[in-house]
Amino acid sequence: MPCATLACIVATFLASSAALAQKLRVVATTSDLASLAEAVTGDLARVETIIPPSADPEAFEPRPSDLARLKGASVVVRVGLGYDHWLDKLLSLHGDAAVNRRGAGYVDASFGIPLLEVKGSSVDPANRDGHAHGLANPHYWLDPVNAEIITGGIAEAGIRAAPEMAEKIIANRDGFLVWLKARLTEWEQLLAPHRAAPLIAYHNTWPYFARRFRLNIVDVIENKAGVTPSPARLAKLAATIREQKIRVIMHEPFEPEEASQLLARRTGAVVVTLAPSIGSVPAATDYPTLFDYNVGTLARALSAASN
Amino acid sequence: MFEDVLAFAALPLAAAIVFTGIHTWFGLQVLRRNVVFADLALAQMSALGATVAVVAGHAVQSIAGYAYALIFTAVGALLLTGSRGFARSVRQEAFIGVLYVVATASTVLVVDRSPQGAEHVKKMLVGGILSVTADELVKFIALYGAIGAFHWLIRRPLLAAADNPDSGTRQIAFWDLLFYLSFGVVVTSSVGTAGVLLVFCFLIVPALVGSLFSSRIGMALVIGWLAGTAASAAGIFGSFLLDAPTGAVTVVAFAAVLVIAGAVRAFITAPAKERCRNRQLGFRVGGLLFCFVLGLSGTWVVIAPAGDHPLLAAIEMATGFGPERFMTSRERADYLEAGLIEHRHKGEIDRLYDRERLSRWQGDELAPDEVRRIGSMQQTLTEMGRGERFVMDYLRTRGRERERWYVGLPLATFGFIGAAAIAWRTRRAR
Repeated sequence: MPCATLACIVATFLASSAALAQKLRVVATTSDLASLAEAVTGDLARVETIIPPSADPEAFEPRPSDLARLKGASVVVRVGLGYDHWLDKLLSLHGDAAVNRRGAGYVDASFGIPLLEVKGSSVDPANRDGHAHGLANPHYWLDPVNAEIITGGIAEAGIRAAPEMAEKIIANRDGFLVWLKARLTEWEQLLAPHRAAPLIAYHNTWPYFARRFRLNIVDVIENKAGVTPSPARLAKLAATIREQKIRVIMHEPFEPEEASQLLARRTGAVVVTLAPSIGSVPAATDYPTLFDYNVGTLARALSAASN
Repeated sequence: MFEDVLAFAALPLAAAIVFTGIHTWFGLQVLRRNVVFADLALAQMSALGATVAVVAGHAVQSIAGYAYALIFTAVGALLLTGSRGFARSVRQEAFIGVLYVVATASTVLVVDRSPQGAEHVKKMLVGGILSVTADELVKFIALYGAIGAFHWLIRRPLLAAADNPDSGTRQIAFWDLLFYLSFGVVVTSSVGTAGVLLVFCFLIVPALVGSLFSSRIGMALVIGWLAGTAASAAGIFGSFLLDAPTGAVTVVAFAAVLVIAGAVRAFITAPAKERCRNRQLGFRVGGLLFCFVLGLSGTWVVIAPAGDHPLLAAIEMATGFGPERFMTSRERADYLEAGLIEHRHKGEIDRLYDRERLSRWQGDELAPDEVRRIGSMQQTLTEMGRGERFVMDYLRTRGRERERWYVGLPLATFGFIGAAAIAWRTRRAR
């Protein structure tokens, strides 16, 4: 008899879990937003990502399978600011009002973020940060403090889509943020000895990261997205690296490494590969490990350079 | 800084000269065989091989990566050799074109399986000659030296095979295969560093320039080397001066050298009678084109003063005689004020940017609301700047509406009358 009762409870639990899981389906454009959505929804939702891990999001082109992925989604989470501009086209083809702009399941995660390097409310080709499109620097997930705002938007949309899950979603988010805050203290302590360290980055990916961890990114190698730096620019950067005693060049896995390596050979600086997104390197498997990897790698490189 | 400029330029220039050395020789044979785009097809086959290697988990620079590229290039060489047999009924360039597009499409399909493939394809296209190392240069010299020496030894049958229209014999097919295989090895090596576009220039432009001045292969080779070296130096140092990507500037420099060589051949070194005819033809065609463009530009100003007028803008920039002169005093004052305000807004945006940027690592961290306030100000100022630009554009259009009768109409009249006069004189001369 007790065995039958236990089996009945387990079956009921499994059935209810399956039903809940089927209620919410979250589609995020990037692996970073997907990881935060997983942290908020836990086992209540199935979370999918459009841009494959380790691909360059700024060079991504959607395929027909991505359109199919959007079908039946309860919540769609995007970076916004023109970073994933192709999503507008997919959403207009998809036609489900709930996940289109102003729909209950539509989340532009940039909403409410204290944005850096804001340019305007429309596209200006004469931008200066190397991004071919966009209204501000879009790499805001690289500041862990912004996770609070991003997860807030995801939680609200999740609750709108499935109000009966509200309590669980709020609890998940609160638990995650408390835990993330503790980790942030550790990361800040790791990079504290290197406060104001001058750095060069290949692409203008790191202003939010630099703000959080108090780093000085003096310049970027790639002036315009996708355009190889000119020799005159490289010569100027080499002079800057020597003048300001810059020891580390921050590079990303999918960027061409010739220019960074050339500068490193010429100046003695070290090229450090950091992960701009989850999946960019094998060690960055979720949002916390993204910072474990980046903070750890950068702290080690800066310590080695100062010795 | 000057030392850096020299250091960044020396190795790429040396590499470009080495590439010119071997590619001019192959280019001359490519021109004789009438297979100009064989290089692109082989380079694309090589890129396909390298892409397959990347997807299979090998680095492009590794031995496995090179082997993949070489095997695919060898397959391309075999296909090109075989296509010459079909060329009796259809031009061989058609087969080369098919090979190129199939190799390109296959590369895209293979890249689709590799998350970082797009970057790899772009690199194959534009290359990275600026970052060539001394070790790579030594390898290029050794490899190309060996291939060059080998070709020197077998130059007679190779050239005979290139010139022989009877392409059905096995002997010819053998020399063809040897040519394409060695060509494939050279292309595979150079595409990884210089990219498909620049390798095509190294191959075709110096050979074309050499062929313009001499039908003797030795002399054409020397002239091609000189032209290629001059174009490489102009491209690499030009990219410093223009602060522009080296590969793209070098391609343009090669094109400029070809145009200059063509002009020298037509107007200076051609036989006296031909030279005289070329000069007359040059003056007439050039004059006709110039007058026609002036006429069209003037007409366009009259029809659509609010449109884009690149020629008129260039004339205005050169003479300082712009639409401001055709504004009323009130309009001119508003125009200048809008320019000043836009400039002031830009300065304020830069000041806010610097303030936020410095706060990332200096002093106390800015509060999120302060960052939001700065962002909001930057956005507002950017939009206000656009508003001022709109005012300037509107006033410039008003000026152009008046300018069209004083500048556009005379320009159109002068252009079309000039073109008609040249055409009439040409007809009379006949």
